[in-house]
Amino acid sequence: MFSADLLANAVVAGVLLGGFYAAVAIGLAIVFGQLDIVNIAHPAFVIVGAFTAYILNSRFGFDPVLVGLLAAPVFFIAGVLLYRIYFIAFERTGQESLSGLAFFFGVMFIIEVSLIMAYGVDYRLVQADYIGRVWSIGFVDFPLRMLVPFSVSALLTAGIYLYLSRTFLGSAIQAVAQDRLALQLMGADPVRIKQWAFGLGIATAAIAGSLLIIIGPVEPSVGRQYIGRAFAIVVLGGMGSIPGMFIAALILGIVESMVSTFAGPSWSPAVAFGVLALTLALRPAGLFGRT
Amino acid sequence: MPAYSGPTLALSLSIREVEAGYDAVRALHGVSLDIAQGETVVLLGTNGNGKSTLLKCVMGIVRPTSGSVALDLDGVAHDLTRLSTEEIVSLGVAMVPEGRRLFPRLTVEENLLLGAFRPQARADIRKNLAFCYETFKVLKERRRQLAGLMSGGQQQMLAIARALMSSPRLLLVDEPSVGLSPLLVSNTISMIKKLKDLYGLTVLMAEQNFHQAIRIADRGYIIVHGEIVFVGDVAALEQNELVKNYYLGTG
Ligand SMILES: Nc1ncnc2c1ncn2[C@@H]1O[C@H](COP(=O)(O)OP(=O)(O)OP(=O)(O)O)[C@@H](O)[C@H]1O
Ligand SMILES: [Mg+2]
Repeated sequence: MFSADLLANAVVAGVLLGGFYAAVAIGLAIVFGQLDIVNIAHPAFVIVGAFTAYILNSRFGFDPVLVGLLAAPVFFIAGVLLYRIYFIAFERTGQESLSGLAFFFGVMFIIEVSLIMAYGVDYRLVQADYIGRVWSIGFVDFPLRMLVPFSVSALLTAGIYLYLSRTFLGSAIQAVAQDRLALQLMGADPVRIKQWAFGLGIATAAIAGSLLIIIGPVEPSVGRQYIGRAFAIVVLGGMGSIPGMFIAALILGIVESMVSTFAGPSWSPAVAFGVLALTLALRPAGLFGRT
Repeated sequence: MPAYSGPTLALSLSIREVEAGYDAVRALHGVSLDIAQGETVVLLGTNGNGKSTLLKCVMGIVRPTSGSVALDLDGVAHDLTRLSTEEIVSLGVAMVPEGRRLFPRLTVEENLLLGAFRPQARADIRKNLAFCYETFKVLKERRRQLAGLMSGGQQQMLAIARALMSSPRLLLVDEPSVGLSPLLVSNTISMIKKLKDLYGLTVLMAEQNFHQAIRIADRGYIIVHGEIVFVGDVAALEQNELVKNYYLGTG
C-alpha cells in the first residue's frame, strides 16, 4: 500500500535511524577511515557502551546520554591501551593486515562472551521519561527514542568534524596514514597520534552505545548487525570524510527504512551491502572521497 | 614583507665517522661532514650512494651504528644520535624530504600548518604563514586546494614552505630537482638561495644536479658508495676528476 503519509513517515524514520548510525560509524571513520586499522570490534565496544548505560540507569537512574558522556573518557583510555597492544604485537613488526584483523576479531569475541557470561543473552533496556513520547507534526511522527539519538549523534558528528579540521592534532590524525615519515619530520610522533585517534574512536562508542539502548533493548550479540553497516557507511562516505560519513549514514537509514516499510523488515540487513555495492560500482572513491 | 622568525643563534653541525645502514645493507662507511653557521653545503652523489641515508641520520630517522652527529647551538652541543626526530625538529632542524612527501589529501594550508606542529613553532604560526604566502604567491592562491592535485613545481614549493613553518635554523633538502623541468629546477634552487640569504639559514642539500647545486653552494662533498671521496669549495669541485666524469660528461 503506497500513500503519502506512509512515505513521509518512512523517510523521517530513516533520517532519524541514519543519524543514529552515524554515531556508530564515526569511531570507525576515524580508526578505519583515517588510520587504516580494521577494528571490527568497534560495534562490540558500542554494546559495552549500551550495557554501561543499562547498569548505571537501572542502579542509579542516570540518564543514558549522560552515562555515555561520562563513560567516554574511560573508553578513551581503554582505546589507548588497546592500540598499544595492537601496536606492539602487530603494527611495529609490520604484520598488521591479516593478524590485525584476527586480533580485533578476538577482541570482539572476548567482549561478547564476557557480556554473555555476566548478563546472559536477555535483552536489556533503559528507562527515561522521553523514551515513550512522540512528537507529531501533521501526520509525521517523531518518536523521541529516535529523535534524541539523532540529535546527540548530529552534535557528536559536528564536534568530531570541527576537532579534526580545526586543531593540530586533528590534522595530524588525518595526515598520519597519508605519510607517516613526513608527519615525523613535522615533529609529531606517529605512534602517539594514532594512539590518541584510536582512543578518540573508542570514546565515541560509549556515546553510540547509550544511544543504541535508548532506541531499543540490547543483548550482547546485536553488535554484529552493525559491523557491516558501519563499515559500509565509512566506505560510502569516502573513507574518513566526516560529513561524507554522516550523509552516507542518512542515506543508508532512509533506504533501510523504505525497504522495511514497503518490502518488509527482513530485507533491511541486506540493504547496507546493496547500497555499498551499487555506489562503489558508480563511484569507487565513495560518495565524498578525497582522491 | 612580513617578518620571519628565523635563526638567531650560532649553529654548526658536525658529523664524525658515521656508519649506518638498513639491516644487511651498509649504506654509510665512516662519513664525516661539517657545516658552519650560514653555509650552504651540497652533498653530491649519484643514485644509491647514501645521500638520503646521511640526511636521515641527521634527522634521527636512521640511527648510525657508530660515529657521532652533533649539533652545536650557541656553544651547547646536542648529540642528535640520542634524540628523537621530534626533539631534533624542536632544536630547529627541518628536512624537505626526497619526493616531497606532502600530505596529498590535505589542503595546501593544512600541510603548511602541520609544518608548525611543534609547540615552539606554534607561537609564530601566523607570522610564518604570512611569510610563506608572501614568498610563495601560488600557495596563497591555492591554499584550499588538495596538495596532491598540484603540479610538481608547486608541490616542491609547498614542501619547502612547509619545512620553513617550524622556523628552522638548519634546513636539509634532499634532491629538490628530482622530477622537475630544468626551468623549475632553476627556480627552486634560486628560491632556496633567496630564503637562505634573507634569513641566514644554514643549508645542507643533497643533489645529483651538479650545475644547479653549485650555483648556491659554498662547499661540496662527493659521496660514492657510502664514502666521502672529495671535499672542497666550488672552484675545487669544478676541477675534480670525479665531477668531470660523473656530472660534466667529460674526463
Ligand atoms: N629503506 C631501505 N632499506 C634497505 N636499503 C635501503 C633503504 N634505503 C636505501 N637503501 C640502500 O642504501 C643505499 C643508499 O641509499 P640512499 O637512499 O641513501 O642513496 P641516495 O644517494 O639518496 O640515492 P638516490 O639518489 O637514489 O636518492 C642504497 O644501496 C640503497 O639501496
Ligand atoms: Mg636519496
